[in-house]
Amino acid sequence: MDCYSFEKIISDYIESNLNVKERQEANEHIAHCKRCREKLADMINILSAMKTLPCCQTRSDFESRLMARVDRYRQQKEHPFVHILHHYSRAISAAAAVLLIAATSLFVYTSVSVPAESATLPAAEFRGAGGNGSGLPAAVLNSAPSFANTKAEASQPDTSGAENPDYQRRIKMVNE
Amino acid sequence: MSRENIKYTDEELIARFQKGDERAYVELVRRYKDRLLNFVFRYLNSYEQAEDVVQDTLMKLYTSAHMYREIAKFSTWIFTIAANLAKSELRRLKRRRVISIHNMGFDDKEYEIPSESYDPEKETTSAYGEKQIQQAIDTLPDQFKTVILLREVQQLSYEEISQILGVSIGTVKSRINRGRLRLQKLLKELKEQ
Repeated sequence: MDCYSFEKIISDYIESNLNVKERQEANEHIAHCKRCREKLADMINILSAMKTLPCCQTRSDFESRLMARVDRYRQQKEHPFVHILHHYSRAISAAAAVLLIAATSLFVYTSVSVPAESATLPAAEFRGAGGNGSGLPAAVLNSAPSFANTKAEASQPDTSGAENPDYQRRIKMVNE
Repeated sequence: MSRENIKYTDEELIARFQKGDERAYVELVRRYKDRLLNFVFRYLNSYEQAEDVVQDTLMKLYTSAHMYREIAKFSTWIFTIAANLAKSELRRLKRRRVISIHNMGFDDKEYEIPSESYDPEKETTSAYGEKQIQQAIDTLPDQFKTVILLREVQQLSYEEISQILGVSIGTVKSRINRGRLRLQKLLKELKEQ
């Protein structure tokens, strides 16, 4: 047995977990290896020092503090609202997150779609370029659906549209 | 009540507590509070934090007693909870120490307030002082630290340690041997300083 092999079994040697043959080999090694003999003695010393380390104790009010925590826990458990919050906290958090995302999406969607309505107005510049009744080429009518809708709306007068000055302006432009 | 409880094993007490006997819980607290504190204190090297971890462990015992099944010894189960909580606390403490070092000015110093009930300066009668041993334990990598404390301080069997850590007995044996050698090396270095 060499020093490396002895190191690998040093704990088993101390705890007498080796078989007869292994123990004999270990004994033969430490009989003529001063380094391993010292290492073994030092290890035994350390382990016995660890076993005699002073024990520490909890403070005198440890139990009363623990029982106060237990009481608080019991009260919380008994209160139905807190009980629901405690048990369904994940579901509540998930629902709140979904609501927040939905609200944000709605806000972003409405903010972006309002200016888009006025973007159809420049299509009126194409008037007179085609031979259809509206004075617009068919391609332009197809590519500008909002404007085409405006034309349809214009052929079916809508009294509610009369209150909208922008709507009136667009009817005027189409008629021209 | 206490005298009456002596005849009950830990497993019988937890079974009684699971059926609603709160006195059984109190008895388990009394049996384990100091044992757990000894383990967690050596692991964290901070009395205040160790006591908090033991409180959390025993609260967990109260809130999750229904999770215990009698396939394992009660001591193994409670030490598993304590070891996991202590590990999380050590990670938190390490993070906090790093932050406080970053924030420290030239004149700032951090003081650990010594506990009234425990004197860390008290040395053992062996060639190695408690302070040196604790310093070496603090430096040990976590995988060795836990097994060494469970074996040398708590004197648990290899089987119990393997159940607590969820590793094979062979792994526990190997870690204990390597941990002891590492500890010896660290103590030698500390002695030479």
